[in-house]
Amino acid sequence: MIKENNIKLLFLSVSLLLIILIFFFPFFWIITSSFKSPEEIIATSTTIIPRSFTLEHYNKILFNSDFFIYLKNSLIVSFSSMIISIILSVSAAYGLHKLKFYGNKFVEYSLLVTYAFPGVILLVPIYLLFAKVNLLNSYFALIIVNVLFATPFAVWMLKAFFKLIPNEIEEAAYIDGASRYIVISKIIIPLAAPGIASVAIFCFIISWTEYLFASILISGDHLKTLPVGLAGIVGQYQIDWGFLLSGAVLASLPVILLFVFIGKYFVSGLTEGAVK
Amino acid sequence: MKKNNIEGWLFVSPLVIWISLIILVPIYIAFELSLFNVKIIGTTGKFIGIDNYIKIFGKSKFLNASLNSLYWIIGNAICQTFFAFTIALTINYKFPGKKIMANWIILSFIIPTVVVVVIWKLMLSSSSGVINSVLIDIGLLNEATGFFSSPNKAFISLILINSWRWSPFLALIILSGLNSINREMYDASKVDGANFIQQFLFITFPNLKNVLFVLGLVGTLLSFNIFDIIWLITKGGPSNATTTLPLLIYETAFTKFRISQAATLSIITSFLLLLFSIIFIKSMAPKEDD
Repeated sequence: MIKENNIKLLFLSVSLLLIILIFFFPFFWIITSSFKSPEEIIATSTTIIPRSFTLEHYNKILFNSDFFIYLKNSLIVSFSSMIISIILSVSAAYGLHKLKFYGNKFVEYSLLVTYAFPGVILLVPIYLLFAKVNLLNSYFALIIVNVLFATPFAVWMLKAFFKLIPNEIEEAAYIDGASRYIVISKIIIPLAAPGIASVAIFCFIISWTEYLFASILISGDHLKTLPVGLAGIVGQYQIDWGFLLSGAVLASLPVILLFVFIGKYFVSGLTEGAVK
Repeated sequence: MKKNNIEGWLFVSPLVIWISLIILVPIYIAFELSLFNVKIIGTTGKFIGIDNYIKIFGKSKFLNASLNSLYWIIGNAICQTFFAFTIALTINYKFPGKKIMANWIILSFIIPTVVVVVIWKLMLSSSSGVINSVLIDIGLLNEATGFFSSPNKAFISLILINSWRWSPFLALIILSGLNSINREMYDASKVDGANFIQQFLFITFPNLKNVLFVLGLVGTLLSFNIFDIIWLITKGGPSNATTTLPLLIYETAFTKFRISQAATLSIITSFLLLLFSIIFIKSMAPKEDD
């Protein structure tokens, strides 16, 4: 027994160390680097503890670039996509997992297979379609696409939460004369609230990080989202690292802030929703 | 439970209509385009039947990209399975700081892909990257290496970067499966003298079927579709070594301006992915008990 516990302890400490090194250290690195002088960022000899401290990169990006325009665009697109995704996926998940109907297995699997189509495969035809219906260069173009990418998995995540709500509660409410609307708004949604919160974060993240469609469907500078704006700096021949790093930190900040407040619902939503 | 046909469909139809419109109409447009020879977006071409299809199958670029996509999927599957299981099994233990780690391990997934690219471009830079200087300091390298300079190094680096982004998210889903396993099974197996490797093989793994099914299906499709990480780091190079099918489609459409050929590639790719999904679901779908 003692021997096995030692092996476990060894496994635990080695993997913890590796996880911190691999998954957390890079964040420490870019955050501290974004405060370093331009010379130190590109210095050939690297030191873990920064030697210089400057706010010049943040000054430049906040007061001397289109950062706030991109931020506004990203926020509008991500919030709208999130709200539409939630409405559509809660409704669909309720239909799929609380009301059995003819064809529900087919719909459930088709939703998962929807992931067979996103990405570049749809890019060309969606571009042409949106050009025909005059949707290019609009927030709505991005929202339509983001909802498409977020909802299939959102429905699958919601399944677990809806299954945790005992049918007896609903049936009791019907016996008391409640309508479907009352049952959904007063019982299902409040009981599944942590799940819905975690799905909302998921939808927000999907929209916040989307790059491909935003780069093709939007050409006007005033409508570009943060990832596209940042990618513009990455693609430059002479990369201004300080500028790029502070931009990267700022572009991550909103999702990180969101995560500070409701991240635990997301993680417990994913891990305790028990996929049964 | 009684069937509720009309209401059930009423609830799912808004989403089903949204998704079908945004997938089926474009697929139809792509199919139509694939039968013409349209080049630049907005121009018209002439009807050439299945010529595009015949041409594409004869092209070495298509074969190269298909193979790259296959290696990409396999490489990512291996790498992400390893990372995700290590993270999930580690977080499943009790240790101080467990909650914080479980909450924040997903950081690499919630930041924009472009930021992932920025992080690793800086860390792996050949002139000033911290990885190079650490590897030199501990004696593993003699001089700084370009992680994206040779075909193999670029391909492996990209797989690792992509796995870095996705593994924590997958780990949390695996963790959800681990949490649903009845603790008593482990206690009972301990009484029978099982060690923790046996426990993993005979209790943990079989009980994760449901989760692994969804991850196997969705994970494969998601890996296949990765575009931005590869495009923003290597643009498919060096010498097309990291050009997977999504990059080939993008290149064909938006840098070479061969819209019809790109549409043909999209149709062929959709067909392949659909075929994979159907076979995967038919052969691996777990039986539901309800």
